[in-house]
Amino acid sequence: MSFRKIDIDAYDEDVLLEGELCEPDPRDPTQVLSDAKQKQAAVRSTLAKGDIPGALGIALDSIPYGPNVDEAKNLTLQTVVSILNSTKSSEINNVVKALSQDAQDTLMKYLYKGMGMPGWGDVSGSVLLGWHEKLTEVAGTGCIVRVMTDRRTV
Amino acid sequence: MSAPEVYSIAKTPVTCHAFNADRSQVAVSLNDNNVQIYEKQGKEWILSETLSEHDKLITSIDWAPNSNRIVTASQDRNAYVWSLSPDPLTGKLVWKPTLVLLRINRAATFVRWSPNEDKFAVASGARAIAICSFDAENNWWVARQLKKPIRSTVLSVDWHPNNVLLAAGSADMKARVFSAYIKDVDKRPSPTIWGEKLPFNTICGEYSSPAGGWVHAVGFSPSGDVLAFASHDSSISIVYPGGPVVHNIRISSLPYVTLTWTSEDALVAAGHDCQPVVFSGSEQGWALIGTLDDTTASSASKAPGARTGTVGRLNSAAFNTFRNADTRGHTGGGDAASDTELLTVHQNTITSVRPYEYGREGVVGRVSTTGVDGKLVIWDVNAVSALTGKMGGLRV
Repeated sequence: MSFRKIDIDAYDEDVLLEGELCEPDPRDPTQVLSDAKQKQAAVRSTLAKGDIPGALGIALDSIPYGPNVDEAKNLTLQTVVSILNSTKSSEINNVVKALSQDAQDTLMKYLYKGMGMPGWGDVSGSVLLGWHEKLTEVAGTGCIVRVMTDRRTV
Repeated sequence: MSAPEVYSIAKTPVTCHAFNADRSQVAVSLNDNNVQIYEKQGKEWILSETLSEHDKLITSIDWAPNSNRIVTASQDRNAYVWSLSPDPLTGKLVWKPTLVLLRINRAATFVRWSPNEDKFAVASGARAIAICSFDAENNWWVARQLKKPIRSTVLSVDWHPNNVLLAAGSADMKARVFSAYIKDVDKRPSPTIWGEKLPFNTICGEYSSPAGGWVHAVGFSPSGDVLAFASHDSSISIVYPGGPVVHNIRISSLPYVTLTWTSEDALVAAGHDCQPVVFSGSEQGWALIGTLDDTTASSASKAPGARTGTVGRLNSAAFNTFRNADTRGHTGGGDAASDTELLTVHQNTITSVRPYEYGREGVVGRVSTTGVDGKLVIWDVNAVSALTGKMGGLRV
């Protein structure tokens, strides 16, 4: 009767595993966590000097992704969100244009991650939506598709 | 440089299309289990025959230009080879189907004749590709399967000009090059850049795009030395196996689902963005050149009254917008019909792009596209215009 609740993949010897689709982060999980903490400190000092593009560049570089690094991922999200919140809306356009294509894709990933956790930490929906609009104008819908397709989830 | 020829041949999506050798007939699947053959009469395409044999939706059709045979693949796990033969009763030429036993337990997704038309490859959801060749002794088509290391549905295949190598794009995010050498059918191939001494089911290369995504379309260049594939992460990758050097071009619009090479250094890709786009380059690098769909020219003929008229304070677009909002309750310019119409020629995803006309030295001069909007359009490959800032007609 309850055909829809049967997990047919449980009996399939040749089932496609999630691990086969994505290369895991080559760094060790503790290494990833310490990297994330270091970046947070570096970003804080760069923000204090008022250098938004520089701070964003540090935060979006070598991000944690994949399994086993949840704490590092949350830490990096907090770092990115703090930069997004402290940027004036008139400057967003220029900051986004100056980012590399890789950085634009990574920023879009964090925007969607933040939108999925409303109210967590400093996450503010209106700030994220403002950045999303400007980033889509520059990077296009292809950037959004890449966030949905990429298995290296942040 | 000529304008595209647009034919609205159906009110339903066109899943796939294939022209015959002299382009007087086209076989299409209108998202159902029949093959419709249209014949060119004057400036119109008229339905001339319907071939019914499949039980489920036909996913792919290919028409061999030299031997004049059609192969169709369907979700009913079968493929049929159709050939023209005289009907015993009436003497007229009719299309006679021959069933091919593929031995797959999932739908067939894609089919292509090999360059010498003695074999064809059927991609399927059974994580396998069936290579079928004709066994003259028993008078039937025999299938051998390429299975390892495919981990998910194969979405598209393309043959190398040497009739032995096959590129396959799959839903496990990889594009692979296989050897499909069949002992009694093929002569031993000369060594290529992809390898030498290649028995059946050897992997000559496995590639993927950095952000992953299903590989929707693969294609060998006319010489066979370069491989291109389009994946769902809105990118095109060009592979030079010598290095191997992989050029990955990320695009800012929706993913492409089909591509075809026009010359050794250029290709046309199309997909969810509803317009064919040209890429060009060499081993040093590849770039997006432009679109074959000149959206600025087409928009001038539509948009009744929205931006013509005298220049003046009272005729500005802003004034008209507020006046429309007041009198008709509209908030946008133009009437409701043109609000939902795209600026591109195709009004929906393009499902298939194929070479239509060859120029000197095998360079493709025109390509044909069919789409989910039921249109068949023939484009001039040289009529490239820049992608406009509005992402070529995308209405956000």
